[in-house]
Amino acid sequence: MSEGHEPEKAEAKDELKAGPFGQFLEEHGIPSRRLPDSCGVETIELDGKHLEAAMKRLRNSHEIALNFLVSVAGVDSPETYDSVYHLWSYSNLNELVVKVRVPKASVPEDRLPLVPSLAPFWPAANWHERETYDLVGIRYVGHPYLRRILNPWDWEGHPLRRDYKQLVDALNDKNQFSMR
Amino acid sequence: MSETDAKIPSGASESVPVSIPEELKDTVTLTTLDKAIELLSSAVDPVANWARSNSVWPLTFGTSCCAIEMMCVGMSAFDISRFGSEVFRATPRQADLIITAGTITRKMAPALVTLYEQLPEPKYVIAMGACTVTGGMFNDSYSVVQGVDRLIPVDVYLPGCPPRPEGILDALLKLQQKIRTESLAERRKRAYRQRAVRYVDYDTGRPVEDLVAEARMETAEALAEATGYALDHQVRKV
Ligand code: SF4
Repeated sequence: MSEGHEPEKAEAKDELKAGPFGQFLEEHGIPSRRLPDSCGVETIELDGKHLEAAMKRLRNSHEIALNFLVSVAGVDSPETYDSVYHLWSYSNLNELVVKVRVPKASVPEDRLPLVPSLAPFWPAANWHERETYDLVGIRYVGHPYLRRILNPWDWEGHPLRRDYKQLVDALNDKNQFSMR
Repeated sequence: MSETDAKIPSGASESVPVSIPEELKDTVTLTTLDKAIELLSSAVDPVANWARSNSVWPLTFGTSCCAIEMMCVGMSAFDISRFGSEVFRATPRQADLIITAGTITRKMAPALVTLYEQLPEPKYVIAMGACTVTGGMFNDSYSVVQGVDRLIPVDVYLPGCPPRPEGILDALLKLQQKIRTESLAERRKRAYRQRAVRYVDYDTGRPVEDLVAEARMETAEALAEATGYALDHQVRKV
């Protein structure tokens, strides 16, 4: 994380105390930051380098047992690229949202933001990560087959990015008042 | 020698319609055969068209919600078989009609073109639903083709989101009218120019035309470089 993020981090820590999942991670020596709850579900932010360890702990521990990866999604926020993971526990019937945020300033031009992949140890993430790569353009490091999954293989750009501009060609020039 | 060689790639790409030279005009050619067929067809057409219009077999082609209505029209409540279209064929080679029931995305487009090209002539298309007429409510989407008429020629447009089964029957009746009134010559005139059945190279996912053009350009470049006529290519590289 860049220097500019540190003060903001400290402030937020004062505001929001770590929830049960954040405390659990802290007990195991994994730092996390609590974000405002999303729809009443605890939301934490992790650093990319702790992601794999944290996910393995959350999945394998007996009392937490967040062993169902509901989805991997991507968000193009104004300042950051977020990779969002939803975890669900069938034994405890509770939920956790994990975010890995890559500041846009740290991503060089013509490069994609890098986030470690879960696919090698959690196969459910495989297609979700491909989809996120396809539509939002987050490169998952360590993914076994990071190719486009929904769009044709030769698509240019990532359609759900804020700066995405689609070329107008013979297949989509009917609507002159398009919002594109 | 080098000049003529370099010209081959660009010149060969245009296909010129064959014209019959003057000295061969009085021999029996395909055109005279065609004339005979046309004469015959004025007698045969009414019967053939009547038979054809009463056995329009659709292809099972449904890409989204409109397909539900298409299934409905095949079931007993609406029963499309009253009009001779009872058999939904699962292969284009046995069908006469595509009812494009559902949104066509850019990824689906090459598949639709391939299916259409595999239909035997005479072939007909009903563009069913707002999506296949204009793109419908996904008009603005990055992935949707704004109407199948951007890909294949359409005979009957059937708007609605989705159209009622009665609408499909109406479109079918309109198509039957069209089939009954057209002659062989008319059909020939609007015949679809076959591009290639393998429109897309399935290994690379790219249009064959593009691959061929690329190969041609590389050949031209190699030729030009070998013979020293490389000026404009060098400029492009810089
Ligand atoms: S026209 Fe409406 S019903 Fe038909 S495919 Fe499009 S969205 Fe679905």
